[in-house]
Amino acid sequence: MANMNLYSRGDKLFVIVNMVLLGLFTISTLYPFIYIASLSMSTGFEARAGNVILTPVGFTLEAYKQVLSEPQFWISYRNTFIYTIGGVLMSLAFIIPGAYALSRPQLYGRRFWNLAVAFTMWFNAGLIPFFLNMRDLGLLDSYFGIIIGFAVNGFNIILLRNFFEAIPQSFEEAARMDGANEFQVLWKVYMPLSKPAIATVALFCIVSRWNGFFWAMVLLQDEDKIPLQVYLRHVIVELSDDEEFATTLLTSAYSFETVSAAIIVCSIIPILLIYPFLQKYFSKGILLGGVKE
Amino acid sequence: MSGVSLKGIVKAYGALQVVHGIDLEVQEKEFVVLVGPSGCGKSTTLRMIAGLEEISDGDLTIDGRHVNRVAPKDRDVAMVFQNYALYPHLNVADNIAFGLRIRKESKETIASSVEEVGGILGLTPYLERRPADLSGGQRQRVAMGRAIVRRPKVFLFDEPLSNLDAKLRTQMRAEIKRLHKRLGVTSIYVTHDQVEAMTLADRIVVMHDGRIEQIGSPMELFLNPVNTFVAGFLGSPPMNMVNARIVAGDLGPVAEFGDNKIQLDQVASLQNSVGQDVVLGIRPEFVTVADDTVPHRVSVEVDLIETLGSEALIHASLQGDPFVIRTETVGQMNVLDGISGFTIAPHLIRVFDAKTGVSLPGQAVGQ
Amino acid sequence: MSTDPDFTGPTTENLVFDAAEAQRRRRGSTLVRIGDHLKREWQLYAMLLPTILWLIIFLYKPMYGLQIAFKDYSIFRGVADSPWIGLEHFNTLFNNDQFLRAVKNTVIISFYSLLFGFPMPILLALMFNEVLNQTFKKSAQTIVYLPHFISSVIIAGIVITAFSPSAGIVNTVLGWLGIDSIYFLTKPEWFRPIFVGTGIWQEAGFQSIVYLAAIAGVSPTLYESAVVDGASRWQMMWKITVPSIMPTIIIMLIIRIGNILEVSFEMIILLYQPATYETADVVNTFIYRQGLQGGQYDFAAAAGLFNAVVAFVLVMTANTISKRYSRTSLW
Repeated sequence: MANMNLYSRGDKLFVIVNMVLLGLFTISTLYPFIYIASLSMSTGFEARAGNVILTPVGFTLEAYKQVLSEPQFWISYRNTFIYTIGGVLMSLAFIIPGAYALSRPQLYGRRFWNLAVAFTMWFNAGLIPFFLNMRDLGLLDSYFGIIIGFAVNGFNIILLRNFFEAIPQSFEEAARMDGANEFQVLWKVYMPLSKPAIATVALFCIVSRWNGFFWAMVLLQDEDKIPLQVYLRHVIVELSDDEEFATTLLTSAYSFETVSAAIIVCSIIPILLIYPFLQKYFSKGILLGGVKE
Repeated sequence: MSGVSLKGIVKAYGALQVVHGIDLEVQEKEFVVLVGPSGCGKSTTLRMIAGLEEISDGDLTIDGRHVNRVAPKDRDVAMVFQNYALYPHLNVADNIAFGLRIRKESKETIASSVEEVGGILGLTPYLERRPADLSGGQRQRVAMGRAIVRRPKVFLFDEPLSNLDAKLRTQMRAEIKRLHKRLGVTSIYVTHDQVEAMTLADRIVVMHDGRIEQIGSPMELFLNPVNTFVAGFLGSPPMNMVNARIVAGDLGPVAEFGDNKIQLDQVASLQNSVGQDVVLGIRPEFVTVADDTVPHRVSVEVDLIETLGSEALIHASLQGDPFVIRTETVGQMNVLDGISGFTIAPHLIRVFDAKTGVSLPGQAVGQ
Repeated sequence: MSTDPDFTGPTTENLVFDAAEAQRRRRGSTLVRIGDHLKREWQLYAMLLPTILWLIIFLYKPMYGLQIAFKDYSIFRGVADSPWIGLEHFNTLFNNDQFLRAVKNTVIISFYSLLFGFPMPILLALMFNEVLNQTFKKSAQTIVYLPHFISSVIIAGIVITAFSPSAGIVNTVLGWLGIDSIYFLTKPEWFRPIFVGTGIWQEAGFQSIVYLAAIAGVSPTLYESAVVDGASRWQMMWKITVPSIMPTIIIMLIIRIGNILEVSFEMIILLYQPATYETADVVNTFIYRQGLQGGQYDFAAAAGLFNAVVAFVLVMTANTISKRYSRTSLW
């Protein structure tokens, strides 16, 4: 099928037009990133004048210097790492044993428990009751609150449960006959066998933790505890409304635009670093969790 | 003695009962095969012995100890699974050692046991390999190695050969038999393949719809099936079944069907059953082919002859029903063409009650 | 009939088992069996317990807290002790122009997202399927999946920067065309196109994965026999690929319709401003402003309850329909 020479002229034209259109879409997806990267490395004056189109104009790293010299940037970067690592570990500690138990046919009330998980995906009490609950639990302005409050997610449990269910029951039985208890069965047999699924769930958690801003914004007031995304919002969304402020920031070396762009680049980098792993696992994960009772 | 005893074993899922009270005594060192069509409850029974299924009712004793409520790991039994259940992330040595590690045996014990078992099963060169890099037969051996390394009182086999191709299956069958001879461990083996049952078993248990149909040695079951189910299940090709009626003849009872008459054995129960509708069980191997010249032959219409080398299968029809004859080929190839019927010794015909399918009492073919 | 002389067990004749007898013996031992089961399997329940507790504390308890929608909630009295006021909040709600506007905006924005956003991933998947050069295909996929993993704050930052009136690339290009600079994000008429377009840009690539998987499931022999029959690639796309993935398309459409109230309000919070509330304010942003920013918890909870119930009904309906359609449930 892949041999172009076998194609009719119409087919060749079709293939080429298709490739061009797809190429255009791909470029339009990529372009904003290139634009932002170029902006971050241009001088403030050129950026302000709207002269940056594709490549940096008047190359300078002043904007980065500006960003990296801001203590709040480092504080929030550190916090994001704490929330991400703590959050992923917490999530896995809940989700792996929970999903395993839900996948076992010998569990009494298995349908009920599974429904209790699935129901949370269909019906959500909403922002206000969740917020009030967090407040009542004393989890406002707390690292622990952010880490525990979003540890479990129905979709991830069901994804992992489906994966465990697909592993033949005889592995559990063989291990039990070999003398393993349930914890050992999970730890020594099912977890090693489920590395791709666990990696998928872990990556989903990492991304949602790294990117999460809404609840951090609502639940955290203390600037020492806010994650990067909240800081980012403060700088690039809130301050952008403030034309006066933006103007005061303008120097020949950097401007509000270049500084915003530089922060964006800094916060995208970790995601880009794990992106190859993400790509390897997410399609599998999506299909695993997507369509199955 | 490390025998296994089942008394009135029942398995029910809610109101649905799938095993209806099994009684079975497995002697020490005995090799017992549970055989039957799929869904007959044989695997469920095995899994209850293993402790993988809870026993709904009845008593299970292993080595004289009541184990109904004992966890699988504490029953001192080992099981070989149909799909082997080899841990793909562990190499052969670690797979074999898994159970010993869980039981916290010393490193030296584990190393020497793995080495010994590897030697017994010819796995020594493969100990470092992962299951994915092994052939089907080697995987099967690892699965057995994992079972024998723990020196359990009882081996349980759940259709262990069904994932192998025909040639390998024959080979592994012989190996299992040899291993049993060498280790002498009580073994319970589940299969749906009657050939495996015949070749491996000291005693065969034929199961059907959650009940035991018959227990006995392979030849016993082959020669003297207690009912049409057992008769039809064991033997390949299966026993031919012919509807007939018993009438009185000069030399004792005679079976009559259509224009044909066959002399039956002079057994009291048959003599007393004149006028009764019966089913005649005729083994394809027990008949002698006959051409037009032979008197008192039962005539059949030959449909097709399959020549298999040393023997041939003659597919014929008798009163519109298929009838299969298995016969030697050597020296009688020219005869085969002219076949129009068969004869059979009276005592080799098995007579079953047409209504219940149960063998009329008193018939016995000596081994 | 002969029997094995060594055989001491029962013969077939006495194996007739009385099922009723077994039933009788089993009855009354239910507690014993549950006890046995727990003794055997307690570890499973220990594994399940943390997850269930978490669900109760963080998701089910707030559902109990939803009752403030029918109460005059006071922080000092707490959820349970605040006085009931019946449907008063709902009365206020349905007479509140802002709320009605938010409902309208939610539906309109969702509708546009569906109309323009739904076909895009299908189209992309079909196009990817026609690419012969694997390197091109792989790199293009790598790029179009990427925006899905970028946070909404960054996406919003990019949008704000690109549409900025002074330095943004969009206004630069308009400048070349002789059009005066537009401050897009303050213009109500521009909010929806920008929001919907951003959503497509961010998610279309990623959503195409589902359809690519469906296409991968189509048997290659269908295409081979079509080639032998002289079909062009265009024809094969329309006559084989599209019909083959139609079930997936329909299921995804049902899900999307079921989730019509789910507008990514986080992105709206980032992009809207008082000047664009008129077209941008959706139910969840309304709740956020009234409740979390304005402190009217009970009133906002009522709006949330309304939203949740309608969403639940829609999702369950969608799930039922797709279950009937595909015989596999979505979850």
